[in-house]
This record gives sequence, C-alpha cells and structure tokens, in this order.
Amino acid sequence: MKPAIMAAVLAVPGPAWSQGQVARDTMPRDTTPPAAAFGVTEYRLARQKLEQDMQRGGFSVYIIADMEGLAGAVRNQTEMRPVSRGGSPQHERFRQELTDEVNALITGARAAGATQFIVNEGHGGTLFRNVLVDRLDPEAILIRGYPKPIVMSTGMNPMVDAMMIVGAHANAGSPGIISHNFAFDSFTVNGKVLNEAGIAAFIGGEMGVPLGLASGDDVLTAETREMLGPIETVTVKTAFSRSAAAVLPPATVHRTLRQAAARAVRRVKTGELKPLKLQKPYRVRFCLRRSFTEDEWVRKTVGRLEGVADGASPGCFVYTSNSAEEVGNLLNEVEWTVLKP
Amino acid sequence: MGLLVLARERLMRCFVGTILCLTSALQAQTAPPSSAPFREKQIPREAGFRVFIVPDMEGMGSAVDIREVIAGNEGERYKELTSPDYWDRFRLLLTREVNATIRGARSAGARSFVVNEGHGGNLFANVLPWELDSSAILVRGFPKPLVMVTGIDSSFGTLMFTGAHANAGSPGVLAHNFAFDSFTVNGNILNEVGINALIAGELGVSVSLVSGDDVLIAETQKIVPSGFVAIVTKRAVGRSAAITYSPAKVRRMLQAGAAEAVRRERRGDFKPFTMARPYRVEFKLRQTYPDSIVQAVAGLQEFKLERKGDRHFSYVTDSARQMGWLLDAIEEAVLR
Repeated sequence: MKPAIMAAVLAVPGPAWSQGQVARDTMPRDTTPPAAAFGVTEYRLARQKLEQDMQRGGFSVYIIADMEGLAGAVRNQTEMRPVSRGGSPQHERFRQELTDEVNALITGARAAGATQFIVNEGHGGTLFRNVLVDRLDPEAILIRGYPKPIVMSTGMNPMVDAMMIVGAHANAGSPGIISHNFAFDSFTVNGKVLNEAGIAAFIGGEMGVPLGLASGDDVLTAETREMLGPIETVTVKTAFSRSAAAVLPPATVHRTLRQAAARAVRRVKTGELKPLKLQKPYRVRFCLRRSFTEDEWVRKTVGRLEGVADGASPGCFVYTSNSAEEVGNLLNEVEWTVLKP
Repeated sequence: MGLLVLARERLMRCFVGTILCLTSALQAQTAPPSSAPFREKQIPREAGFRVFIVPDMEGMGSAVDIREVIAGNEGERYKELTSPDYWDRFRLLLTREVNATIRGARSAGARSFVVNEGHGGNLFANVLPWELDSSAILVRGFPKPLVMVTGIDSSFGTLMFTGAHANAGSPGVLAHNFAFDSFTVNGNILNEVGINALIAGELGVSVSLVSGDDVLIAETQKIVPSGFVAIVTKRAVGRSAAITYSPAKVRRMLQAGAAEAVRRERRGDFKPFTMARPYRVEFKLRQTYPDSIVQAVAGLQEFKLERKGDRHFSYVTDSARQMGWLLDAIEEAVLR
C-alpha cells in the first residue's frame, strides 16, 4: 500500500512527512481523518454540482466505468494498472477498450432516445483516471480523480433516469475474474448480499433510479441478475479462474453492448425495470478484507467512524442508517482509510 | 503555477544533507535572481490588437491529478509524480486549448498573440511549439523575470488566463498560490490570477478572460471586480477530482469566450486591475518549506523585506512590476 497522499502536496501544506524528506519505507502512516480530506465526505456538494450541469427533461444515463470486466481483460497486475502505479504499458490498451465500451453504451442508449450521458470513473488502479478524455463521446460529462465522494456513485441524484455499469467484476469470494468488492470480504444490507453493481443499484435505487445494464464476465452477470432481477446483462467472457477466461472478440462485445443499452433504455422508459428499494432502516453488515483486518490501525480506525459498531468477529462491523446515500459515503470513508493514494 | 512542487526536490536534498543546508542558509546574503539582467528585455512589437495569454495546467479541461501536469524530469522525486502517458496527453490538450483561445480572439479582430507558459511542469515548457498556432510567439523556460507575465508591456490590448487554479487553501482542483500559504496586497487576498492582473493593471492592461474550475472562477470574480469572461472548465468535487467535460466542448467554450472577450475589451467593458500605492504586500511562505528556504527569502537584500514572523514577511513598493521580480526571486530561492 502506498502511504503518501502525494497529490495533495502541490495543493495544501500536508503533514511534514508527506514533503519527501523521509524515506518511503520509514514514512509514518497517513492518519488524515476522512472528514479532513476534501472530496471524501462532500457527497451533497458533488450532487448539487452535477445537478447544475444536468438538463431538465430528456433522458439521462449514468454510466459507471470499471475495468476488470472489460472484453479481453484477465490479469490485474499488467492490465489494470499503469506503469506509474506498478503495472505495465499494456494498461494503456485497456484504457482504449474501456473508452470504446463506454462509447458503445452511449451510442446504443442514444439510439433509444437517451439525451444526456454522465460517466463516472469506477476503477481505482489509476486513481479513477482511465477513460481517454479526448476519445470519449464529446457529449458525455466525465467524473474523474480521487478522492471523490461515494467513489462509484459520485453525484448520483434523482434527475438521472437510468444507471449502467460496464467492465464490472464479480463479488468478493465469487469465482470470477479479479473478483472483489471495494475493501470488503462481505457486504450485506438487511441480509441481502450486494456486489459493487448491487451497491450502486442500492444507492441509486433509493433515489428512484434503476440499474438497467451490467456487463462483465459470466459470474458477474449471473450474480447481478440474481441480486437485481432480469436487468440487461452482457457477458463478455467466461471465467476459467480468477485470471483466465474465454474472451469474446471486442468488436462483438461492442455490438452487443450497443444493442443491450438500447434495450435497457426502452425497458426503463416502459417502467419494466424498477429501482432497487430495500426496507428502512438499512441494517448494513460488512467485514473488511482479511489483509486489512490483520492491520490493527485500519480495524480501529474503521471502528471509530461515525455510527459504526463492532460486529460478530474482528474486522466485521454493523451500521444502521435511513439513507443509502449515507451508506455510500460510509463505504467511501472506509476506502479512504485503507486505500490512500 | 506549479513550481512549488519543485521545491520538494530541494527540500528532499536538504533533509538528506541537513547540516550542509543549514550551513548554507546561515550564510548572509542570498544571491540576486539570475533573471535580473533580463528584466528590461521586450518582446518584438507587432501591429494590430495584441493578446497576452497565460496558460496554466491545473485548471485546464479534464485535468485533476498532479501526475497529469508534471513531466517527471524536474528532479529525482518527480519521477513518482508523473506518468508520461498522462502528461504527454495533457500537454497536447493544453496546446489545443491555447489554439482555441487564439482562434476565438482572432475571429474578433485580434492580430498579435504572445503565449507565456504559466505552468512550472517541465520547467515552464509544456506547450508543444510545433502544434501551437503558427502566429503566436511563445515564452518558455525558467527562470524568467516576471514569471507568469514575463514580456508583458503596455502595447497589449488584453490579458487572458487559461487553465488557472484556485488559491492556496481553497477547495479547488490542485489549488495553490506560488510559494505561499497566503498573499495579500493592501489587505486584499490575491490568487495567482489576481497577482498577475495587478502587474498587468499597472501597465494599463486589463484581464478579459479567465478559465478554470468553478472554485477559481468564483474567487477570482471577487478579486477582480470589473469582471471578465469566465469559462468554467470543470466543477471540483475533490482536490484531485472533478466533474469534467469533453476537451472538444472546453475548446468550443474557450473559442467563443475569447471572441467575446476581445469584443468586450475593445468596447471598454473591462478595467485594468489597480490598487492604491504604495502597495503593502504581506505573504506567508508555505509552512511545509524547510527553514533553509525561509532564510534564503529573508536574505533577498534587493527587496528590503520586513520579517514579521517565522514565515510572515511584509514588503512595501510603488511598483507592481518590482513585486513581480520579487516573485521570481522567491521562486529561484526555493529552487536554488
């Protein structure tokens, strides 16, 4: 884990150790509380700012752009991260693939009458900067960078008509390509298991916005249908291990994505696809990833977040709230604790 | 402006050899800035309405992260603060933003263009000379006497800032202000745009266009009361995160904005940004700088700074231009 918030050095007088005078391996841990890091907790501000850019009327699609579930992608170390973050130059090709798949969704949705497109970067390997900004459909708004409030649902608001997630991956513990779920080994609301797509559907669902489409490997598409019902899913590869798959040709995937996005928009318009609503209060139970659980500082810091109480076993916690948006922000504060840039 | 990043390199070296740095810091007078002999040089005169453009990078369209605006060759430490695939893309986007601004200004009748690199990445050499509009003169490299407005004179009809960023401490993308935690003139808080607008204002040149994130625009509208054409390139939702728009859309906004800016400037809508003399300047060097840099600034004999606190200095002058020279002297002290 990289302990330094180097990005902040340019901007603010950070803690003394972040200024570079201490060797990396002796750097003390960054203990900036989430509340003190601009962009972690300002979820209402982000929502207001996005709403200012949204058109009244029309049909708005909010696309979450992840990478593990892209056509062709199988290997975390080389394909999911750039050289500057311990990866390889091959990552650059997958940035193009990501941009192509997002553009395919936009093209398909537009054909079915969608008029506005918001793309939220959902992959952290490059600190949420993966889409090639100058090759993305020029009408789209792109939310990029880290930290940003509620990572994968930044700015979500009731003016959005439909959500889609592309390049998604299966849940932590599922036998899918690079499967995981934020910083968790498990995450449930009212006993319902949610993967990352499910959590996005939960946050948007409270605002009346359905998740209309999810694409990724066969494990992701099957588990997401089980979670959310018969939404549009596009299976881009069949997993043979966490890092091997039978992959479909990217051109085929792009065509399928266009068709599925058009169907998703139509099915949302007719009211066939409904937002995910869970009963309030939301009883959230989550267990941190084992590697984080073994870290006493992480365990204690998460335990001290507002409203969080210890759960059944070490590293597991409970949290009760009447707001899915607040649950989303809690998740974001946990991310900040375990995963500083 | 981004140069303070470079201070970290110096800083690291200091901590590696602490004793050496302290020794040199205690030696009395800091050498005058190496750009001093070039202070009176002028950019060749050109006919027609002249536009002086200062492109910075933190506030440009799409940029959110330091790795997108640092070249990585500024020193050993910066290798980690860059990602060539990112910076390379962004310097091309930067050049295209400048070209869009020039196109817009030209369409409204401007005929002469000077572009002065306002961003310290790659030591003030980010714009691609071969891709830049072929009618523009480009000021690039470091050090330079007036840093962000080097070469400006009273022959310019207007001044434009693109890609500007919010002040130190503001909740904007990559917000900072030269080497300072705060900088005021006659009690007024100034960001980088404000400081440079004052230097230009003294020459009778007014600001007609500013582009940057929503935070920069809002704060600059308070600093420069006579107004300017404002282009919001993105909305900050974190210090390194923003709601962004297509680079093509940002270029369209810049082109239309620059045309409007020139039209309104020629109509007399904008006033040079001025303040009562003498200028009472107060600044606080960044808390994060080591003492050696503070000592070096304290040793700048030419400017007769008064030290009011550990990092707190005041300076009185009748010339904003001289204040600009001080800025370069501080930048050089930080880097030397």
